[in-house]
Amino acid sequence: MNYSQYIALIPLLPLAGFIVLGLFGKKYFKQSAGIIATLLLLVSTALSIYTAYNYFFIDGKIDGVYHSVIPLKYKWLSFSENLSIDMGILLDPIAVMMLVVVTFISLMVHVFSLWYMKGEERFSTYYAFLGLFTFSMLGLVISVNIFQIYIFWELVGVSSYLLIGFYYDKPSAVAASKKAFIVTRFADLAFLIGILILGLQGQTLDFGVLIQRLTDIQSPQFISITSASFIGFSVMTWALTLVFIGGAGKSAMFPLHIWLPDAMEGPTPVSALIHAATMVVAGVYLVARLFPVFYINHVSLQLVAYVGAFSSIFAAIIACTQTDIKRVLAYSTMSQIGYMLFALGVSGIGDEHELGYTASMFHLFTHAFFKSLLFLGAGAVIHFVHSNEMKDMGGLRKLLPITHIVFLIACLAIAGIPPFAGFFSKEEILLAAYNSNKFIYGIALFTSGLTAFYMFRLYFLVFWSKTSSAHAHHREGNAAMKTPLVILAACSILSGLVSFGKYVSADGKEIESHFHLVFSIAPVLLAVTGICIAVGLYKNESGKPQRVASFFGVLYKSAYRKFYIDEVYLFVTKKIIFNLIGRPAAWIDKNIVDGLINGIAGITADISSAIKGIQSGKVQGYALYFFGGVLTLAIIFIYLWK
Amino acid sequence: MNALLLSALWGVVMMFSSFLVKEKSAIRNMAVAGLVLLLLVNILEMNGKVFFDINTRGMIYFDRFSLLFNSIAFISTFIYFILSAKDMEKVGDNYAEYFALIFFILCGITLVTSFKSLLILFLGIEIISIPLYILTGSDKRNLKSNEAALKYFLMGSFSTGLMLMGIALIYGAKGTFMTFVPPATVKEAAQATPASALLIAGMILLLFSMSFKVSAAPFHFWTPDVYDGAPSVFTSFMATIVKAAVFASFIRLFNDAFGAEKSQWQLLVAIITAATLFIGNITAVFQQSVKRMLAYSSISQAGFMLFALYAMNGDGKEGLILYATAYSLATIGVFAVLIKLKDFSFEGFNGLSKNQPILAATTTIFLLSLAGIPLTAGFLSKFYMLKAAMETGQNLWLVIFAVLMAAVSVYYYFRVIQAMYFKDGDVSPDLTVSPAFKTILVFLAVLVILLGIFPGLLLNWYYF
Amino acid sequence: MVLTHLLGPKRKTTDKLQTFASGIETHGDARHPMAIKYFLTAILFVLFDVEVIFFYPYAVNFKGLGWEGFFAVLLFVAFFLCGFIYIIKKGALKWED
Repeated sequence: MNYSQYIALIPLLPLAGFIVLGLFGKKYFKQSAGIIATLLLLVSTALSIYTAYNYFFIDGKIDGVYHSVIPLKYKWLSFSENLSIDMGILLDPIAVMMLVVVTFISLMVHVFSLWYMKGEERFSTYYAFLGLFTFSMLGLVISVNIFQIYIFWELVGVSSYLLIGFYYDKPSAVAASKKAFIVTRFADLAFLIGILILGLQGQTLDFGVLIQRLTDIQSPQFISITSASFIGFSVMTWALTLVFIGGAGKSAMFPLHIWLPDAMEGPTPVSALIHAATMVVAGVYLVARLFPVFYINHVSLQLVAYVGAFSSIFAAIIACTQTDIKRVLAYSTMSQIGYMLFALGVSGIGDEHELGYTASMFHLFTHAFFKSLLFLGAGAVIHFVHSNEMKDMGGLRKLLPITHIVFLIACLAIAGIPPFAGFFSKEEILLAAYNSNKFIYGIALFTSGLTAFYMFRLYFLVFWSKTSSAHAHHREGNAAMKTPLVILAACSILSGLVSFGKYVSADGKEIESHFHLVFSIAPVLLAVTGICIAVGLYKNESGKPQRVASFFGVLYKSAYRKFYIDEVYLFVTKKIIFNLIGRPAAWIDKNIVDGLINGIAGITADISSAIKGIQSGKVQGYALYFFGGVLTLAIIFIYLWK
Repeated sequence: MNALLLSALWGVVMMFSSFLVKEKSAIRNMAVAGLVLLLLVNILEMNGKVFFDINTRGMIYFDRFSLLFNSIAFISTFIYFILSAKDMEKVGDNYAEYFALIFFILCGITLVTSFKSLLILFLGIEIISIPLYILTGSDKRNLKSNEAALKYFLMGSFSTGLMLMGIALIYGAKGTFMTFVPPATVKEAAQATPASALLIAGMILLLFSMSFKVSAAPFHFWTPDVYDGAPSVFTSFMATIVKAAVFASFIRLFNDAFGAEKSQWQLLVAIITAATLFIGNITAVFQQSVKRMLAYSSISQAGFMLFALYAMNGDGKEGLILYATAYSLATIGVFAVLIKLKDFSFEGFNGLSKNQPILAATTTIFLLSLAGIPLTAGFLSKFYMLKAAMETGQNLWLVIFAVLMAAVSVYYYFRVIQAMYFKDGDVSPDLTVSPAFKTILVFLAVLVILLGIFPGLLLNWYYF
Repeated sequence: MVLTHLLGPKRKTTDKLQTFASGIETHGDARHPMAIKYFLTAILFVLFDVEVIFFYPYAVNFKGLGWEGFFAVLLFVAFFLCGFIYIIKKGALKWED
C-alpha cells in the first residue's frame, strides 16, 4: 500500500494552478489559462479515480471491512503532550468517494467553462479562483482532524466569496457574495466554538481518536462531556449542535439558507460546482464524518433529521413558485440536501439500521451528477437567451436539441423515475425514513412529488410552452460545451446502478440494498402525478397556472416571496440590532465625538476662544465618563468580592 | 539591560543629531542603524551576553518573556521605520526629535516589560506616555492634532493619578514596592493570609489605570480622538508597538503582584473584556473614515488581548506574544498604506487594486489577518487566546461572545477590501510608491502568513 | 444642602459675580494671549529647579553613599546638562527674535 506518493498531488495540483494562474495568468496565460487548469485537474481526476480503484477494489478492505487509512500526516502545532494539531490525509470510503466526485464534477465545470467563459476579460483569474475552490474542497474532504477541516472550511468560504462576486461590476453580485460570506461565516463561528469544546473535552482533535473516545461510554472524556451540562443540555449536545450549525450554514439549511438563492449571481458553471459537489455538501459531509458521535447523542441527531426534513419541504414549496431558472435549481438543491441530512438523521449504526447513512451518501453521489448537469444545462440556456427569467424562454427544444435531451434526463433523474440515478438513491432514503420515522417519511414522500412537479414545470416552461421565438441565429455551442453535458447525462443514468452499499456504510461493512418493488410504487406514482400536473399546466401556454396560483392565494404569494425569510432577517438586523444597539453607539460617536471635532474645524472666527470653550467641556465630559467607569466597575467589584 | 541603556543613549544622540546632521536621509539612516544595534544587543542578551552589570536591587529583571517582547517591539519598530519614516518628514520640521522621542519610548518599553518594582512600572509608563503626548501634538499647525494632544495629556494625567494612588495603597498594605516578595519561611508560605482591603483597593486602581493605557472600555474614550487627531505616522506607532508593550506589562503586573488574588479580579476583567469587545466592534462598524475605524478596531483587538490577562496561564502568555506580533505587523502595514493615500475615508480606497495591485493585495492580507481568517497569524493568535480562556473552564459566555464579535469585525475589515477590489474609483493617480516600500510590504505580508502557518517560528524563542 | 440651595434667596449682583482677587479690582481677562517665550522660560525654570531638589537628599546622605553615589549623581548631572545644551542649541532661551 503506497498511497502517500501521489495522493497529496490531488489537492496540490489545483492549488498549483491557482498560484501559477493567479500570479502570471494575466500576463502569460491569457488564452491558455483554461487549458492549463483543465489539464491539471484532469491529472487530479485520474489520480483520484486510481486511488478509488485501489482503495475499493485492491487493498482498502481488510476482513470484509473498509478501514480508514492515513497515508500522510505530520505534526503542525503542538499545544501540549497529548493535544496537537496535525495536517494530513485521511482515506476512508466517504473521503475517497468525495475525492472522485469533487474532481470529476470540477473537471466537467472546467471543460464547460472553456466555452461558457470564453472571451471574458478576467478569464485567467476565473480559472485561478476555480483552482483555489477545488483545492479547498479537496483539502476539506481528506482532513484528518477537525481543525484541518475548519481551515479548509474557511478557505471554501473565501473562495466562494471570490467566485460569487466574480462579476464585481454588478452590484447585486457583490452584495450576494458578501451575504454568502457573512451568513456562512456566522455559522462557521458556531462551528469553531463547537470544535473548541470537542477538542478540549475530547483532549484531541483527531477524527479517529475523537470518535473513538466520544463513543466509548466508559472513557473519561465521554463521562466528562456528557455529565457537564449547560441550560439543560449536556455539553456534548451543545458541541454537536454548534458543529451542526456550522454545517447547516454551508449546506444552506433552514434558517441559514438565505445566501443560497442570491449566490446565483456568480457565473453559472460556478453555481454548478457550488451546488453539486462542493460547498453545500460540505455540511452533509461533516455530519457524516462525525456520524458515530452524532449517533450516540440522540438529541442532536434528531435535530439534524428535523432540520433536514423541514428544509427539504420548505425549499420544494418555494421552488414551485420561482420564475428565475437558477433560483428554482437553487431551491431544489436545498431540498435535496435536506434529503441527505434527514437520511443521516434517521440512520443508525449496525447492519439493519445504517441504511440511512449509505442512502445519504448515495444520494450525495448521484445528486452531484444530475444537479451539475441541470446547472450546466441551465448555463447553456442562459447563454442562449441572455436571461435568467423563464418567461423569456420557451420552445427551445428545437433550437437546443442536445441541451434539451440531457436536461430531460436530469429532470427524470431528480424526479426519481426509474431507472435513472435519482430513483435508486431516493428510494433508499425513503426506505430508511420509513423504517425509523413515519412522520419524516410522509414529508419526504410529499416532497418527492413536489420535486417532480417543479422540475417538470421548469422543463416545460423552458423547452415547450411558447412556440419558439426569434433566437434562431444562435448556435448551440462547441464540443467543450456538449461533451460535459453528455458525459454527465450518461452518469445520471448509470450512477444509480452502482451497488453503493457494498462500498460505503457507517461501519465499513457491506450492507445489502433492499429493493421492494411494492415499496417503490408510492413514490414513483407520486412523481408521475407531479409530472402529469406539470404537463397539464405548463406544456402549452395557457391561463391555467394563474388560476392555480390564485387558488392557493396567500400560500402561493408567501412562497413566491420565499416565506419572507429575507425580510425577517432584514428586520432583525436593520431594525432591531441597528436601532437598539448600533444607533445609540453611532449617536454617541457622531454627536459627542465627531460633532465636536467637526464643530471645531468649522469655526474660523475667534478660533482660540472656541477651542477653549468646546474643548474644556469635552475633556470634562471625558473625565466624567472616566470616573463614571471607575465608579461602576468599583461597585461591580465590591459586589463580586468574595 | 543592554537595550535599556542603549535606547536611552541613542535617544540623546538622535536629539543632538538635529544640530550636527542636516540631511534628512542621514538622520533616518542613523535611526535605523540605532534600531538594528538595539535589536542586536537585545538578541545577544537573549543568548546570555550582558554588557552592563548594574545593581538595580532587584527592581528590574530581564527574563525570557521581557526580552522576547523587547525583540518583537524592536523588530516592529524597525519595519515601521523602513515603511513610514519617510512620511514623518511631512509632519513638521523637527525630524530628528521625532526619532529621539521614539527611542525614549522604546526605553520606556524595555522598562515596563521587565519591572519587578511598582516604581519602575510607574517610571516606564510615564517615559512612554510623555513622548507620546508630544508626538500626538507634533503637527503643530493642525488644530485636531493640538486638541488630541491636550486631551490625551489631561486624560493620561487622570489615569496616572489613579495609578500612583494605587501604588501608594499597595505600599501601605505590603510595605514594599516589589511586585513579588517570596515568603520568608515555609510556614509563612503555607498559611495564605487573606488580602487586605487596602491591597485590593490598590489593585483595582492599578487595574483601572492600566486599562486606560491599553484603551479598554469603559476607559477608551480618548482613543478614537487621539488616534484620529495624531499624525497618522505616529498613530501607527502608538496603536501597535506601544499598546502591545503596555499589555506585556499589564500581564506581568497581574501575574507577579496579584496572581494570588486571581479569583477576585478575574470576573471583573471578564466584564471589561466583554465591554471592550462590544464597544470596539460595534462602533467600528459605523465609521466612515478608515483611520477612525482602525482606532476602534484597535480597541476591539485590545479586547482580545485582554483574554491573556483573563486566562493568565501559559497559553495566554504564548497567545499574547503571538497576538501582539500579529496585530502589530498587520496594523503597521495597513497604516503604512493608509498614510500614502490622501483620503482616509473608505471611498479613498476605491479602486486601489487597479492602480496599485501590490498595495491592495498586501493590505488585503493584513486585513484578513486582523479579521482572523485562517492561515494568517491573526487567526492562530485569536485561537490561542480563545483556547487559553477555555482552559480556565469558567465563563464560557465570554468566549462565545468574543467569537461573535470577531464575526462582526469581519464586516468592517471587508468594507476596505470591498472598496479596493469591487468598487471603481481613481485613488490618488499621482500616488508613487518606491519599489523598496513594496518589497517590505510583501515581506511583511509573507511574515503574517508564515506566522499563521508556523507560529513555532516565534514561540520557540520563548522557550529556548 | 440641596434644599437650602434650592429654597434660599438668590441675589445676583455684578460684584458677586466678579472674580475674587483678594479685594483688588481685576484687570481684564486672565485668558489673554501671551508670547509663548514667557511660558517656555517659566517651564524650563521649573524643570531645572525641580531637578536641583534631588541634590538635597544626596547632600544629606553624602557620606553614606560614597563614591558609587557620587558617580550616580555625576551621571545625573551630565544627563541634565545634555538637556541644557540641547535647549540652548535649539534657541529656546533666545529672547530676541
